[in-house]
Amino acid sequence: MGFLVTTLIFAVIGIIASLCTRICCNRGPSANLLHLTLVITATVCCWMMWAIVYLAQMKPLIVPILSEGE
Amino acid sequence: MGDRGGGCCPPMDLFRSEAMQLVQLIIPMESAHLTVSYLGDLGLIQFKDLNSDKSPFQRTYAAQIKRCGEMARKLRFFKEQMLKAGFSPSAKSLGETNVGFDDLEVKLGELEAELVEMNANGDKLQRGYNELLEYKLVLQKAGEFFTSAQCSATAQQREMESQQMGDQTLETPLLREQETATDLSKQVKLGFITGLVPREKSMAFERILFRATRGNVFLKQVPAEEPITDPVSGEKMEKNVFVVFYSGERAKNKILKICEAFGANRYPFAEDLGKQALMITEVSGRISELKTTIDAGLLQRDNLLRTIGDQFEQWNLMVKKEKSIYHTLNMLSLDVTKKCLVAEGWSPVFATKQIQEALQRAAFDSNSQVGAIFQVLHTRESPPTYFRTNKFTSAFQEIVDAYGVAKYQEANPGVYTIITFPFLFAVMFGDWGHGICLLLATLFFIVREKKLSSQKLGDITEMTFGGRYVIMMMSLFSIYTGLVYNEFFSVPFELFGRSAYACRDLSCRDATTVGLIKVRDTYPFGVDPAWHGSRSELPFLNSLKMKMSILLGVAQMNLGIILSYFNAIFFRNGLNVWFQFIPQMIFLNSLFGYLSFLIIVKWCTGSQADLYHILIYMFLSPTDELGENQLFPGQKITQQVLLLLALVSVPWMLLPKPFLLKREHENRHQGQSYAALESTDETLLSVANHDSHGHDHEEFEFSEIFVHQLIHTIEFVLGAVSNTASYLRLWALSLAHSELSVVFYEKVLLLAWGYNNIIILIVGIIVFIFATVGVLLIMETLSAFLHALRLHWVEFQNKFYEGDGYKFYPFSFALLDDEED
Repeated sequence: MGFLVTTLIFAVIGIIASLCTRICCNRGPSANLLHLTLVITATVCCWMMWAIVYLAQMKPLIVPILSEGE
Repeated sequence: MGDRGGGCCPPMDLFRSEAMQLVQLIIPMESAHLTVSYLGDLGLIQFKDLNSDKSPFQRTYAAQIKRCGEMARKLRFFKEQMLKAGFSPSAKSLGETNVGFDDLEVKLGELEAELVEMNANGDKLQRGYNELLEYKLVLQKAGEFFTSAQCSATAQQREMESQQMGDQTLETPLLREQETATDLSKQVKLGFITGLVPREKSMAFERILFRATRGNVFLKQVPAEEPITDPVSGEKMEKNVFVVFYSGERAKNKILKICEAFGANRYPFAEDLGKQALMITEVSGRISELKTTIDAGLLQRDNLLRTIGDQFEQWNLMVKKEKSIYHTLNMLSLDVTKKCLVAEGWSPVFATKQIQEALQRAAFDSNSQVGAIFQVLHTRESPPTYFRTNKFTSAFQEIVDAYGVAKYQEANPGVYTIITFPFLFAVMFGDWGHGICLLLATLFFIVREKKLSSQKLGDITEMTFGGRYVIMMMSLFSIYTGLVYNEFFSVPFELFGRSAYACRDLSCRDATTVGLIKVRDTYPFGVDPAWHGSRSELPFLNSLKMKMSILLGVAQMNLGIILSYFNAIFFRNGLNVWFQFIPQMIFLNSLFGYLSFLIIVKWCTGSQADLYHILIYMFLSPTDELGENQLFPGQKITQQVLLLLALVSVPWMLLPKPFLLKREHENRHQGQSYAALESTDETLLSVANHDSHGHDHEEFEFSEIFVHQLIHTIEFVLGAVSNTASYLRLWALSLAHSELSVVFYEKVLLLAWGYNNIIILIVGIIVFIFATVGVLLIMETLSAFLHALRLHWVEFQNKFYEGDGYKFYPFSFALLDDEED
């Protein structure tokens, strides 16, 4: 799975989550906006975390060197 | 202050504090009490103290408050008595209510008098009872002593007689005959005193007696086996029964005085055996008689306390309510006609209808001729900050409030803190095993929420319970970041496919020297498990986590600056947009945004460029060729432009704003004569405007403004560097956490496993569990929590948050309970 595909998956999960909050706890436009902000922030944070780790391993400058014992 | 919204979206909950208004209520005297009571039920208005110049005794309702205080004292007395008797006030409040305030006062007074009398009688009876018990003991012990003494005396006499009969030899003392003879003739009647003395004083008692009478006493002490209740103090203590023999009146007086000084209770005692027996039976009879009386009294008292206990909470609440109502009434000012009370206070705009409704209801219920008048005042005073939080958001809002309460309607960092706080925590605490432990612990609190919230908890438990939703979010994110770090108690799992790395050839000879080779696509989610335990693990994780900290930090700081833009837009402050937000954005991103960009480019291209070198020489010699450090074409010119932008943005932040402020101020002063006309139609509101007018004509001190701006600019420029560096704590803590858990796993669990011995294994597991819970789950949680807190308070919030507001404390009966403790 490439970078873009997984990013897309994150986006889809984010959209589904925001739809869920919209449907499950619909408490007026103000509260919905808050929920949407929370979901988006959470999605962006999680995506950033994943993307950073993924990108760092894409073109490795160093590779795992096994310890002597193993 | 601008209006709400003004954009495409509806206003967001929690992002801005509630719109507030200063309201004035004019309440007829006769319905004032009921009105305030209804408003207390509603709990949405914060009354202003309009009598702050008056002392508490000069106020209108001082007498009523005094009465409430007296009633509260009586209730405290009842509570004390109930605790002493081992009752707890029943939590369930009975249905029957609506006792009038005056009735309650009378009732409380009666009950108190009754209880006090009962206590006095009980004490008296108890004292008598204890005295009798002591007396009985003295009778028994002294009786024993006398009988044994008599026995031994007769035995001695008999022995002596037999001796005299047996061997009247030379050894017989010559004087003896005489002595006994004279003894008989001069025989003095020896007096004696019996009683009880506390055991710890008995030695001193004996010594003093001996000294005072120069040894002319005979003291006999017998310890009582069980501790006895002292009739005077009512405490249990160890005591000795004593008998003192003396001769003469003077000795007796001395002994009596000494007895008094030592708290020794004396009891009459008859030498005659028959009399003794009689007295013992009499005393026993009286004891049992008293016992039944005392029991009956206690039962009656218990019944009384129980009836009090049934209604105690109800009364307590009522008294508290009354007291708070009169306190509030004291804050209202009396109208000149003395027929109305005038109240001023802050209330949220959304509560207008509810307040008016409450006023009407109060007017109706108190059969008042006229209703209360409700009107909104205009003022320039800054209103209190009020966020409507629920049980989930309140803990996060408290995290923000602990730093400073938001200015009125300022952008609330609490909204983002709900996500970013647990997220940054989890970056430092990434281990999904530990995350699950934390989640289970907090789920325990959440599931038992209803039960726990009603009872009193310890300090630490209380804190954990209050932050249960924060901890829940923290643990959820920990599980996520743990999956990204691929650590379950430091053990990696191939959950998302196979490792991307493999040996170069079948023999795997190079694996320990040159290393593995990447044969597949990058591991799709998180850190490749092949890294774990390898020799290059630490260099790899160091580089990854350091760069991650910078990327996350730059992102969060950018969010902070963007929020300052929303603030500037909301408060219609164009200056802050053009001369604060834009240069700040440019400065931060031309340096650290560029660094982040370089990091990503380096990752994507796999370049070997040295980022430190690039960034350092970007300042030192921007014109030099980059050579092998070139990451993308046109890098040199880009860097020169960025450097120029950064340099320009510093004076941009510093200089224009103070000058523009000065011009604005001068313009306003010129147009002052026109502004006065506008306020003429607000005559009604002149009272409210009066106190706030002073703020408007502040002196404009240019140097002060300029210095302030200078400080602000320096703070931002230096802060951009130091705050970015500060985010490196994410790297340090997350590395420390993972290394610690590796140590515990390898040096404790695996070591114990290696012995192939069940006992060692069990010990190893126990040590591992304690180390994991104590160090990783508790200590590390605390430290990661504190570091996340700092990152939010300092690095995030100093970009936009003023935090100089004050909190909205409504007059509410629901808040009364918290205040008390």
